[in-house]
Amino acid sequence: MRESIARVEATRPARLQAGPPPAMTPAEREKVLAEFHPDYKAEKKRALSIGVSAGNVVPSEVADMLEAHLLVDPAKIDLSSVDYDVDVLIIGGGGAGTVAAIFAHQEGIPAENILIVTKLRHGDCNSTMAQGGIQAADRPEDSPAIHYIDVMGGGHYANKPELVQAMVDDAPEIIRWHEELGVMYDKENGEYMEAHGGGTSRKRMHSCKDYTGKAIFNPIRDEARNLGIPTLEFSPVIELLLDGEGKAAGAITYNLETGEYRVIRAKATVLATGGFGRMHIQKFPTTNHYGATADGLVIAYRAGANLLDMDSVQYHPTGVAYPSAILGQLATEKLRSQGAMPINADGEVFVYPLEPRDVEAAAIIRECWSREKGVETVSGVRGVWLDTPMIDEIHGEGTLKDWLAAMWTMWHRHGIDITKDPALVYPTLHYQNGGVEIEADGETSVPGLFAGGEVEGGVHGKNRLMGNSLLGYNVFGRRAGIAAAKWAKSKKNKIKTLSLQHAVDFEQQLIDAGIETDIQSPMLLPDYRSKSVLERSLGRFL
Amino acid sequence: MNTSSENTIRIYVMGSAYEVPRGLTIMSAMEHAGWRFTRGAGCRSGFCGACSTVYRQEGDYRLRFVLACQTEAEDGMYLVQLPFTPAPRVSYTLAELNPDENVLLQHYPEIARCVSCNTCTKACPQDIEVMDYIQAALRGDIAQTASLSFDCIQCGLCSMRCPADIKHYHMAQMARRIYGRYMSPVTAHLEERIAEIEKGVYEEEVEALVKMTRSELEEIYAARVVE
Amino acid sequence: MNNAAYFPGCSLKAEAGDYERSAAAVMEVLGQPLEELERWTCCGTVYSLTDDDLMHQLASVRNLIRAQECGADEIVTLCSMCFNTLKRSKVFIEQDSARLETVNAFMDEEQDYEGGVEVFHLLEILRDQVGFESIEGKVTRPLSGLRVAPYYGCTLLRPREIGIDEPDTPTILQDFIRALWATPVEFAFQAECCGTYQIVDSPEMVLEKSHRILNSAMRAGADVLVTSCPLCMHNLRLCYEELRSSLPEKRELSIIYLTQLAAIAFEVETGELPTSMAKLVEGLPTSMELVP
Repeated sequence: MRESIARVEATRPARLQAGPPPAMTPAEREKVLAEFHPDYKAEKKRALSIGVSAGNVVPSEVADMLEAHLLVDPAKIDLSSVDYDVDVLIIGGGGAGTVAAIFAHQEGIPAENILIVTKLRHGDCNSTMAQGGIQAADRPEDSPAIHYIDVMGGGHYANKPELVQAMVDDAPEIIRWHEELGVMYDKENGEYMEAHGGGTSRKRMHSCKDYTGKAIFNPIRDEARNLGIPTLEFSPVIELLLDGEGKAAGAITYNLETGEYRVIRAKATVLATGGFGRMHIQKFPTTNHYGATADGLVIAYRAGANLLDMDSVQYHPTGVAYPSAILGQLATEKLRSQGAMPINADGEVFVYPLEPRDVEAAAIIRECWSREKGVETVSGVRGVWLDTPMIDEIHGEGTLKDWLAAMWTMWHRHGIDITKDPALVYPTLHYQNGGVEIEADGETSVPGLFAGGEVEGGVHGKNRLMGNSLLGYNVFGRRAGIAAAKWAKSKKNKIKTLSLQHAVDFEQQLIDAGIETDIQSPMLLPDYRSKSVLERSLGRFL
Repeated sequence: MNTSSENTIRIYVMGSAYEVPRGLTIMSAMEHAGWRFTRGAGCRSGFCGACSTVYRQEGDYRLRFVLACQTEAEDGMYLVQLPFTPAPRVSYTLAELNPDENVLLQHYPEIARCVSCNTCTKACPQDIEVMDYIQAALRGDIAQTASLSFDCIQCGLCSMRCPADIKHYHMAQMARRIYGRYMSPVTAHLEERIAEIEKGVYEEEVEALVKMTRSELEEIYAARVVE
Repeated sequence: MNNAAYFPGCSLKAEAGDYERSAAAVMEVLGQPLEELERWTCCGTVYSLTDDDLMHQLASVRNLIRAQECGADEIVTLCSMCFNTLKRSKVFIEQDSARLETVNAFMDEEQDYEGGVEVFHLLEILRDQVGFESIEGKVTRPLSGLRVAPYYGCTLLRPREIGIDEPDTPTILQDFIRALWATPVEFAFQAECCGTYQIVDSPEMVLEKSHRILNSAMRAGADVLVTSCPLCMHNLRLCYEELRSSLPEKRELSIIYLTQLAAIAFEVETGELPTSMAKLVEGLPTSMELVP
């Protein structure tokens, strides 16, 4: 490793002088994606055979989870005894869910008639982990139209146009809302410090050092707490409820600590359950939080919601490759937007540092496994260098430590000073590009069920750009919250009965289709116990 | 006592000994040993504060404080996790606050109980100068409270250790919000852009893009000039 | 001044900003600008009287360590309470090496406090290092005819071993007032307690004590009362507003910080003055008028 680092150091002055290499042409991008991006391996995917999106091709792991047995036999659940009766139920206590709750309240639903249920703690979510930034076209050189083009091109034109339109139009207003909530955006002389992200043509990345996710989410959660919005923690939803006419009517939660279920009746339901990183698609490590297990997709699919763009998965180009203790954790794109270049084992720059994420990731995989110019660690992981010392060279000493404090700390805890040495990186599973299809106000194909955040599909097409996840959860969390409140207030949307018949039917379809599986879903949490423990496990309390 | 072999180390989880492979984080080591977390695991990347962990190293009298997901397990660690901090937080309406030098003290009067023992700082897994920001809050310096506490992930270790029962992280969250709203002005072009969007300045242009075919969009995308 | 670090204390950064602004301007004129201690913390506010509770000395000692760290051999305070707390802690901790050792062992994240950092109130610096004659030499607007009551309160003078002057017959403030060409007006309650932090729990008691002080100063014929303590300032001004009608009617009393008085005489930044004081200043002859 040291020898390779010396080669990186040797080429650094010339690279600083020359600046980054040119970006790829569209044809070059297509080629590297087709040959090296994990999404393009047909054998790792299969078509769904049951449900409303039957025929759609999705990663095999997702298909296995969607086409799995129910976690609980509906016959065991007594729907006649309702534990919580609310106007708006929000499933997921992350970014989108919390934003939805605040705007449902602003739309006139009293706090006590809203309920957030969440699998872990309020705030155990990917929203709080985002580092790099949030996009909003607010500079005079920029416009919503330019933002729109960047998003569509980055997403391979698969995005739903009206969703992208909603996102780019709402973006500046979202930033102002954050200002009202007291988010501490990075500013210099009273102006935002805006940077590029991969695939952007204008600098529109607003940041809060490299704690952007936390610095935005925590004030939002604080506001929800100030408003007194009730939250039920450690209570994942295991099944949605319908009303017998196909309308969403609430959910069944499961208390992770006591094992009890609860019946929640709701006039409107917002799905904000996040993504699927912890399913480790193609065995990739992930940047995602512990609870990112696609629960929302599973329960919504059984309730009849159709899915979109589930064939594409986002691998963040730069996950940690060394040390192995933190393998797969995120090395923010902001490192590259501030000047750090990906460099191969021989000290050569091999890719424009800010390609859209799928292209950048594919180029790194190519360097490691085809051109054989990766660096192999003692544990057999391959990676390329991210030449982080360039940041201070370009912007002055102290920049990295001040503005990328989380990154500096992460490696520092393992004895690596990234202001002096480059960091070893490799793509890591980062984001669920697709999800439950929504309309511009967050409506899904199930009446009364709204969705926002990573669980939704359609906004990002086949590849999300950096800075559009934080934006997306705010825009569509807000729209879903408002739409759910309006739906709940409308007299014609009365809930007459509560039913789990759709789950019973789904189980039957599984049998009818001849699918043999011992998987039950939703998954709720991954299991990282060692093989030796699992082999001898008798279960807890038998 | 040397308990390690070439490939394994011995850790103690709430007093019980387990052999685990070297090179894992504390969190992964506990999982390897058979734990399946509900509490004590969140983002697994050092941002959420769910896995605040207290440990003592064999042969040392001190308690040390880390995040389980960010720290490599070492031989002879006696570990316990802190699942929850029952710290009260004060509700307030940010828009109606008077952001003067007394506002933090009024909402969290217990900060005046600080005796500068610095135990909070020693307990912080983020290496924040916690006591210094409490002191800044005490003298009404909201800007400094906000900037010193910026990296706080609200794990609660400071508040669990404080002999004066101060609720550092809730107070600091409030300080950052006050700073963000009242002391860091909204930029002019954000307001201008919002006004333009409200007036529909970009409506026609974006509508036209929405109606375009893929090949038309591809052409525009290829012709982009990157700033 | 030797290598001195200025310790503001919390009040000076909040409600007593005028004290700091005027002191900074005055010391600038005297050629010894205040240099603020880095990373200072609250002094501890009230000196703890328990002998066995070293925890309450930490706040003070930590500030002494900060001074030591930046190579300062003196700490200078404006607030009399900070002065009192810091100095008493210093004396207490330095008296007994076992105490010093315990405190150093507890604060193992800091360098050890080695002892020897001196704690001074600004008045001592003015008297002993600058000299009142030098102050007189910098006066551009003599305060001739201004009748000023020197209010000491308690924490500058007591206990005797840390006091800046003779506790029963102090003269330092009178000398300071004279150096500015004003007339000191001695009064019976000039070293009485204002009630201090009891204002939180027993405001009536504090108002009663403060009333005695103001009444005594006004009856002695003072136009101005100077103090060196933000808490005394708070209590006395509150009392003056609340109980105005029961104080001598014909006379107005301007309650200001001692450095504000000097700033007026030097014609530099005074910070905000009460309206009554501003009126008095207008009535003063300028230096030009005094020249024969």
